[in-house]
Amino acid sequence: MKLTSLAFTAALAGATALTSHTALADVKVGLLGGVSGPIAAMAPPMLDAAQLAFQQVNEQGGVAGGQMIEAVVGDSGCNPQNGVDSATKLVNVEQVVGLVGPQCSGAVIAVANSVSVPAGIALLTPSGTSPEITSIEDKDTVMRTVPSDDYQGRALARALLERGTKKVAVAYLNNDYGTGLAESFKAEFEANGGELAGYAAHEEGKASYRSNLAALTRDGADTLVIFDYGDGTGLTILRQALENGFFENFVGGDGMKSEAIINELGAENLTTFVASSPVGTASSSLDLFNDAFAGIGGDPNAIFVTTSYDAAFLMALAIEKAGGDKAAVAAALREVSNGEGEPILPGEWKKATGLIAEGKAIDYKGASGDLDFDENGDVPGAYAMFKVSNDTFESIGEMK
Amino acid sequence: MELIGLANYAVYMAIFIGIYAILALGLNIQWGFTGLFNAGIAGFFAVGAYVSAILTSADVANRIGGFDLPIVVGWIGAMVAAGLIAWPIGKICLRFRSDYLAIATIGIAEIIRLVVKSEGWMTGGARGVNNVPRPFGDLEYFQSQLAYMLMVFLILGIVYFLVERQIHAPWGRMMRAIRDNEAAAAAMGKNIERRRLEAFIFGAAIMGLGGALFAHFNRSITPEAVDPMVATFLIWIMLILGGSGNNRGAILGVAVVWIIWSMSEMITDQLPQEYAIKAKYMRVFIIGLMLQLVLRFRPEGILPEPQYTDETNKEKVQRGSPASDAPTT
Repeated sequence: MKLTSLAFTAALAGATALTSHTALADVKVGLLGGVSGPIAAMAPPMLDAAQLAFQQVNEQGGVAGGQMIEAVVGDSGCNPQNGVDSATKLVNVEQVVGLVGPQCSGAVIAVANSVSVPAGIALLTPSGTSPEITSIEDKDTVMRTVPSDDYQGRALARALLERGTKKVAVAYLNNDYGTGLAESFKAEFEANGGELAGYAAHEEGKASYRSNLAALTRDGADTLVIFDYGDGTGLTILRQALENGFFENFVGGDGMKSEAIINELGAENLTTFVASSPVGTASSSLDLFNDAFAGIGGDPNAIFVTTSYDAAFLMALAIEKAGGDKAAVAAALREVSNGEGEPILPGEWKKATGLIAEGKAIDYKGASGDLDFDENGDVPGAYAMFKVSNDTFESIGEMK
Repeated sequence: MELIGLANYAVYMAIFIGIYAILALGLNIQWGFTGLFNAGIAGFFAVGAYVSAILTSADVANRIGGFDLPIVVGWIGAMVAAGLIAWPIGKICLRFRSDYLAIATIGIAEIIRLVVKSEGWMTGGARGVNNVPRPFGDLEYFQSQLAYMLMVFLILGIVYFLVERQIHAPWGRMMRAIRDNEAAAAAMGKNIERRRLEAFIFGAAIMGLGGALFAHFNRSITPEAVDPMVATFLIWIMLILGGSGNNRGAILGVAVVWIIWSMSEMITDQLPQEYAIKAKYMRVFIIGLMLQLVLRFRPEGILPEPQYTDETNKEKVQRGSPASDAPTT
């Protein structure tokens, strides 16, 4: 009896020591991802990329006076119910200083409205692309490292018209990503004299889209614009369109700029395929990230890994700038990436902390773009058009 | 860990449990008391959430709206709309028995989900309805949550009272009679089809109210929230575990399942980093396992259905067919 109680007391003391130790030495950041649910395949690489950023920070001296960043992963399930539950735990129980995520727009909107904005915690999403996120009444605490679909759809429409393509058919995935891109593309394309010969949504995960494709060809367009994911339904659609000769030219959004397409379909079949994607002006940023991510066994071409890494690194920079004060993180996010100051590239944590300590302005140039936040917390994004060449994607010029 | 943080978390859990308890009570009317296997809760949840959100929010360019009505009107609208949608569905589908009804209602919930996702002019499509007003939304975080919790509890209390009253009324006895022995009830001159339809509409309206409370809580409703996993099957698990046919059991089941689901994430978070992602799948497994164990060892749920008999005819009823609504399908 005595022994048991002694052991119990010892264990309790040990546990207390352990918790108080972690409480002192760690800064917690919430990492919300759709681990279970519809994007379960996409979420782990995105979370790994974010963890890579925190790992680099910790290896190079930590944040806010040598504290380690501890990322607490929460499962948003890609739906508002689980997203809000997880975010509530992270913010209230774990007392995180900022949230990276959630990854799905619906969860972002719900979490922002019922947790992060009322609690005054900064929320930085790497993949919530819905235009609705722009208009959340967020007291300037909700931002994203991925451009709103609105920007990309419009840029792509202008670029296509410039290339002389006046008549296209559009096939888009029926979720916030596909719909957002398609709607903005449609508005811009038609306003500038283009003609949409077909415009149809499709559901994901079906075995055949031939009937959808056949319906889209009816009005005689020879170019198909696909707003979908290249490692999912988009691949099926592109394959079936090629196999059956439904269209001659193919255009994709950033989701379609996936190596999976080249691996599955072969570069020789993709000579008429182009895709748009956001790019940074400091192109070495992307190389730095690619090397680092490949170094920990990640696939740098997986979707949204660059934006996830950037979101995590920016969050760390903002925490450093704010000195660990969670109320100041959101404002600091703007300061560390507003286009003015000494450029900081991915992984350059030591340089950044040195400059912040000296009180100098810094400007993060991310792997996914320059990431200068506008007044709504959106990043405008610069885009380039890519074609397939030598088993990889090659830029064929910027889009305005 | 700060005390106020824990309090905040507890209040959030209470809100969520309150909202889902309303959904579970709606299902209890349909399944617990009437034996209607409705696997389309998500559909009525969606109708309620969207109707209330559209009725109460401000005008937006790309969908119908701009009614800006008081929130209470939105709730009543949600109940009426869910009931109205349930009417033709019930008219057609309630001819089916048990499993077939389940299949039909799953299909109907999917139809509703795809309609709200695709008909952008009406529901905002994949973007959903945003900036929905929230009662007490202007208060501080904690006060606002607390006020919303009290409001949800008040509504839950009213719903519980109404359902209990209805179940103890002759109507409730009739429903159980229909559930347990349809032929006998018909022989007693009961209009089976009509009574079933009544129960279906009553339950659907309550589900609509639950959906409306959810939309206002998050100030938004998007098609992602209408996922059958979290808006249909989760509620079924809660009801079966708590005890179908028992309203207190339904509420208890919601609390038990959600607390286990939510708290288990905090336990799995204690695992080392490299297991952090894998551990999330464990939680889904735990919920499935729990349902299996309950169905195997306690099919009547934590709180079984009371027998609703008075002393004089107790013996008679027990000698007849003991009411057991164990889901033995």
